[in-house]
Amino acid sequence: MSNEATAQPVCAVRARVDACTLVCREHVAIECVVDAFPPSAPGQFLQLLCRDSEAAVSALVEWSDECRPTLSDKDLRASAPFLRRPFSIADQWSTPGGDVHVRVLSRAVGPGTRWLARLRAGDTLDITGPLGRGFRIPTDDAPLFLLGGGVGIPPLLYLARRLHELGRRNVLVCFGARTRDLLPLRLVQEPACDATPTRCVELPAGAPYSAIVAGDDGSVGWRGSVVDALRAWHARHGRGDHPAVVFACGPEAMLKAVARTTRALGLSCQLCIERQMGCGLGTCLSCVVRVRDAVQPTGWRWALACQDGPVFDRDDLLDYAAVPGA
Amino acid sequence: MTSAPDISAAADDPRLVTDLAGLRLRNPVLTASGTGGYGPEYAGVLDYRRLGGFTTKSVTREERPGNEPQRIVEVRAGLLNAIGLANVGLTRFLREKLPFIQTMPTTVLVNVAGHRLEDYVAVAAALDEHACIAAIELNVSCPNVADGLMFGTDPALLQKVVAATRHVLKRAQLVVKLSPNVTDIAVFARAALDGGAQILSLINTYVGLSIDAQTWKPRLANVTGGLSGPAIKPLALYNVHRVYQTVARAAGVPIIGMGGIQTTADAVEFFLAGASAVAVGTALFIDPTIPVKIAAGLADYLTAHNLPHISALTGQLRLP
Ligand SMILES: Cc1cc2nc3c(=O)[nH]c(=O)nc-3n(C[C@H](O)[C@H](O)[C@H](O)COP(=O)(O)OP(=O)(O)OC[C@H]3O[C@@H](n4cnc5c(N)ncnc54)[C@H](O)[C@@H]3O)c2cc1C
Ligand SMILES: Cc1cc2nc3c(=O)[nH]c(=O)nc-3n(C[C@H](O)[C@H](O)[C@H](O)COP(=O)(O)O)c2cc1C
Ligand code: FES
Repeated sequence: MSNEATAQPVCAVRARVDACTLVCREHVAIECVVDAFPPSAPGQFLQLLCRDSEAAVSALVEWSDECRPTLSDKDLRASAPFLRRPFSIADQWSTPGGDVHVRVLSRAVGPGTRWLARLRAGDTLDITGPLGRGFRIPTDDAPLFLLGGGVGIPPLLYLARRLHELGRRNVLVCFGARTRDLLPLRLVQEPACDATPTRCVELPAGAPYSAIVAGDDGSVGWRGSVVDALRAWHARHGRGDHPAVVFACGPEAMLKAVARTTRALGLSCQLCIERQMGCGLGTCLSCVVRVRDAVQPTGWRWALACQDGPVFDRDDLLDYAAVPGA
Repeated sequence: MTSAPDISAAADDPRLVTDLAGLRLRNPVLTASGTGGYGPEYAGVLDYRRLGGFTTKSVTREERPGNEPQRIVEVRAGLLNAIGLANVGLTRFLREKLPFIQTMPTTVLVNVAGHRLEDYVAVAAALDEHACIAAIELNVSCPNVADGLMFGTDPALLQKVVAATRHVLKRAQLVVKLSPNVTDIAVFARAALDGGAQILSLINTYVGLSIDAQTWKPRLANVTGGLSGPAIKPLALYNVHRVYQTVARAAGVPIIGMGGIQTTADAVEFFLAGASAVAVGTALFIDPTIPVKIAAGLADYLTAHNLPHISALTGQLRLP
């Protein structure tokens, strides 16, 4: 088990919520400000405490004979999410004053994410991060293809910022969702229905990349999945000298389809995967995923999504696409 | 052969310095096995110079890959886990993990698990060679592997494995960690002491089950798991109380209490029930610095109550 300390600093901070806004049905964007936060890489994630932190974990209780600590109503009623919840960094930037802004997009699916959706400007949010290993950006000038489905879109938004800052030009974005109002994006113009990339999506830092938008039900852009859109685009444009590198994040079924398709098309691919997480720091050993390892008699070993990932090379992941001849 | 690091620091609060049957702790708040890895994982977040003691993940003789996922599921006020004793095994532990442990400025306990008596003995003997390991904690109570509870649920076997391990230890203190998954934990505490345990730690997790009402399937791949976190705190307190009152106090054997500890107040309750030190497990996943915060909170508590030393709390529960 690869279980070494990450060399990069991890920080536990109480951030001030600057804004918590609805970006589409079920999704909120939470923007936080912290005095200092380590630099992060797109694909890395944060562990958010999705409840009031004082009540549950403050170890410093005021003790005096007149005022003994008592269980508040809140403690008694608490069925609040116990563990932290993992969220991709959707954007991060520093202001000239030195403050760091961190943004996450959260889709309300359970108690923790519903708590997040109720945050308001001025609230505090307890953040640990940045965690894990992000996307590896190739240094050659291969065309890059950012492929995000639904709740997998956030890390790719941050990646778009980073690529823009690096001056990368040959970048194409493809985002999809089941239906129009589950797309956690701001559309600045109507996306094309035929998978023609246009500047239809607002990207962080004004990254000037064209985008294909796909809606499974035809309510927005290309009717179908992002994987179909990738195939359509590749059929038309994808036969350049440099094979494209695909960066993908989204639901498990989508990632498996991306793995199969990119392999069939001869594109290299990195997948940002999700696993149930306990600690996010490599101690609880719960977030395991099978990776290829020729040294093992079985040909594979468990890796930790929180530490070795969440971004993996497609070809390292055993359960996503069978390697030809393996 | 490696040397013991110097764990003393000028800043140690003498009221918190704790001696558990010869095991010296800067303060009585440790990390629990399996929740802090082997040390490097929390190095960036948790200041080991302020930690009472660090307990490693269980080490077994052979490497173990662990269970299929799902390995954890959150339940109300707690966590159900079935990691399956995933660990690197003795050889890799010594080669890959020990170098970091040698540099840790805190008291280190290595938790040992096994299938057979010979496994416990072999691993303990090998670890005893290394002075940076202050104590061996025997995990005779893992609920998440097929035969994991064997030693922890048969008093005669427990006494045998403890005695055999104690026999090979020339230097390290022997801690025996008890399972609560028994009818009367006092019987097992007695057996551990008869085998030569110098310190008792309790409790390990409670066997539990979580079911998905939509799919009618268990949520964990292993079907059952071990319950930890605040959900088990009252149960853990009861077990500490029971062992203290029936066995440990009379024998003068210190208890490391654990189970659901998150705050200073939680820790105080364990001392009152009979613990001489406490360990924080699951709560580390939320905030790895909790042990250090609790230690600071305990110092404040002693000041507020005008108590000379943390040991003045042990077993002071006011019974009717
Ligand atoms: C590395 C990583 C990055 C993530 N990034 C984002 C993000 O940017 N935006 C976002 O909205 N969500 C993201 N998630 C998923 C998010 O963590 C879960 O939706 C959240 O934990 C649910 O918590 P809850 O208390 O609201 O619901 P719960 O009651 O805990 O869960 C509700 C449902 O979501 C499922 N679920 C819970 N945790 C996870 C998980 N870790 N992975 C997959 N399914 C889960 C549960 O099985 C259940 O069906 C990410 C997960 C990981 C592992
Ligand atoms: C994810 C996880 C892994 C654990 N692994 C071990 C282990 O390897 N060996 C062991 O003796 N106890 C193990 N435990 C049990 C803890 O050390 C502790 O006894 C128990 O969780 C109760 O304390 P807590 O409620 O503070 O977590 C583990 C607990 C958890 C939650
Ligand atoms: S989430 Fe704990 S090891 Fe990955």
